[in-house]
Amino acid sequence: MTATKPKPAAGKKPGELVEMAWDPITRIIGNLGVYTKIDFANRLVAECHTTSSLFRGYSVFMKGKDPRDAGFITSRICGICGDNHTTCSVYAQNMAYGIKTPPLAEWIINLGEAAEYMFDHTLFQDNLVFVDFCEAMVKQTNPSVLARAEATAAPGRDIHGYRTIADIMRAYNPFEGEVYKEALKVSRTTREMFCLMEGRHVHPSTVYPGGVGTMPQPTLFTDYLSRLISILDFIKKAVAMNDDIFDFWYEALPGYEEVGRRRVLLGCWGSFQNPDVVDYKYETMTNWGRAMHVTPGIVVDGKLLTTDLVDINLGIRILLGSSYYKDWAGQEEPFVKYDPLGNPVDIRHPWNQTTLPDPGKRDFNDKYSWVMSPRWFDKNSGEHLALDTGGGCFARLYTTALAKMVDTPYVKSTGHSVQISLPKSARLPEMTLEWKIPKWSNALERDRSRAYFIAYAAAMSLYFLERAMERMRGGDMRVFAEFDVPDEAIGCGFHEAVRGILSHHVVIRDRKIANYHPYPPTPWNGSPRDSYGTPGPYEDAIQNTPIFEENGPDNFKGVDIMRAVRSFDPCLPCGVHMYVGGGQTLKKIHSPMFGASHG
Amino acid sequence: MGEIRVGDPDVELDAPAHTKGVEEGNSRRRKQAGHHDDGTVDERRSTGIRPKKHGPILPIMPNLPPG
Repeated sequence: MTATKPKPAAGKKPGELVEMAWDPITRIIGNLGVYTKIDFANRLVAECHTTSSLFRGYSVFMKGKDPRDAGFITSRICGICGDNHTTCSVYAQNMAYGIKTPPLAEWIINLGEAAEYMFDHTLFQDNLVFVDFCEAMVKQTNPSVLARAEATAAPGRDIHGYRTIADIMRAYNPFEGEVYKEALKVSRTTREMFCLMEGRHVHPSTVYPGGVGTMPQPTLFTDYLSRLISILDFIKKAVAMNDDIFDFWYEALPGYEEVGRRRVLLGCWGSFQNPDVVDYKYETMTNWGRAMHVTPGIVVDGKLLTTDLVDINLGIRILLGSSYYKDWAGQEEPFVKYDPLGNPVDIRHPWNQTTLPDPGKRDFNDKYSWVMSPRWFDKNSGEHLALDTGGGCFARLYTTALAKMVDTPYVKSTGHSVQISLPKSARLPEMTLEWKIPKWSNALERDRSRAYFIAYAAAMSLYFLERAMERMRGGDMRVFAEFDVPDEAIGCGFHEAVRGILSHHVVIRDRKIANYHPYPPTPWNGSPRDSYGTPGPYEDAIQNTPIFEENGPDNFKGVDIMRAVRSFDPCLPCGVHMYVGGGQTLKKIHSPMFGASHG
Repeated sequence: MGEIRVGDPDVELDAPAHTKGVEEGNSRRRKQAGHHDDGTVDERRSTGIRPKKHGPILPIMPNLPPG
């Protein structure tokens, strides 16, 4: 089960538990707080609760609105991956209106989304995650590791040009390091690529149900291509540096694989539609889901449970238990009793959910979070699985690798790995990168996969560009389809936000929204204990995490816990506020905004 | 809404969007200038000013007007 294993009772002294809290932990919407009890004697996190203190209520105020506005409103859920919401909402609306996006528009959306993955992953990995691994941070938390890094040669030196591991760590230093600065420039380029396709970042102005408002013309695609080729060197170097630094980490700190480790329980809802197959009909969702260029799927203990979007859709359950909401089951009539294929739809499915907020006091034995507990019901085992997304990239590569369905000239899935081919770029030759399924689902592997997924998105966009230009040169310039809003309809959209699974469920009645529920990745990752007592993925991953930091309780930075949480990509780290027990509060700024000296 | 007090909705639905017979931007009845039924476009998509002067110079060329 996902519940943490019971710890051996012997040797555990209750007096040594120190309460530590980080609240808020990141800039993410939902104000994530992590409350832990740390056992400094055994160097272990004994207990963990994650909470959110922010209620938003999109599902409440979407009711009664014009469904065509849904994409524009839900985009505002997030300030960094809003376009993923627009795209997902458009997918759901396409199904509800019974329309299909023209192929050229589908390639344009795919190109925009690929640019978003490259942009967001680069920004997060090099400007935020690596602050936890940079020289300035490691000097304060693990001086012995830094000393060892100085003496360790970097195996990928010929590719990235850094002689030792410590040189790489210095390049990650905020504001001063070369990689940090170059990543900001790359983020700018990828953002321009995004804007070419979707008009505006991060709330697209040219993505609508039925198509796009982007005007296709030869320079649209060549402008994108020239920018893409200009960042290929950076991507190839980034993969080599990631491999070097994480391989070194396993070597320098034996046992580090346990940090942020949890059972392999991954969900991926698929990304990049294939216009040759997709028709947005629920009845054929199994086929067009499997034709996506990132295969949807659910992985349990390294085995692929399903790649069928209909199964995935019907298994979604929204549980309560530790969330400030009243139960709607038994109170409200279900909106959708049967799906269009005749399968029964559960009352806890997003189509039938009604949000009944019920604020209260934070009590870790009862209710403590505004996040609900989305789970996936496995009908074979009868378990409600607390799936995580592994920061998005990890689950995407994992399911795509296992499913062996993606086969394009630049990206191939082999059944145990994903091969990514990138052409020659300014400095480096043509390269084939291979992401192999790792042994663990832990902090370092989640972080490592992010660099590989940037390469995946880059390689895929080369393919999308070729297909789009071929179609355009053939004279097919259709990018939108007309439609009328039906009186009654239902729809669901499945997509991948940058940090993981994203679904939108809509019920239209009387041409207005009767029910709308977006489920982005963070409710899955950051969910509290559900009604069965199963902890959410953050809680599960942090509990029993060993502490490798050399500092004691007085100057504890919690870097191992931060690495575990940030590996899930909860957007951005910000001010951290630590409570060290006994009424003593330690305030630390844990942000790259103040330069390396502040760590 | 549970125990939360909420105000009256103060936004009126955009009336013309839901009145039968009034054309919507996405409507099937609407026709965009310069777009043909087979998915191709012509120079009229880009300009209304003497569009015929802005077509491709050879008949074998595809018509790819600028945005």
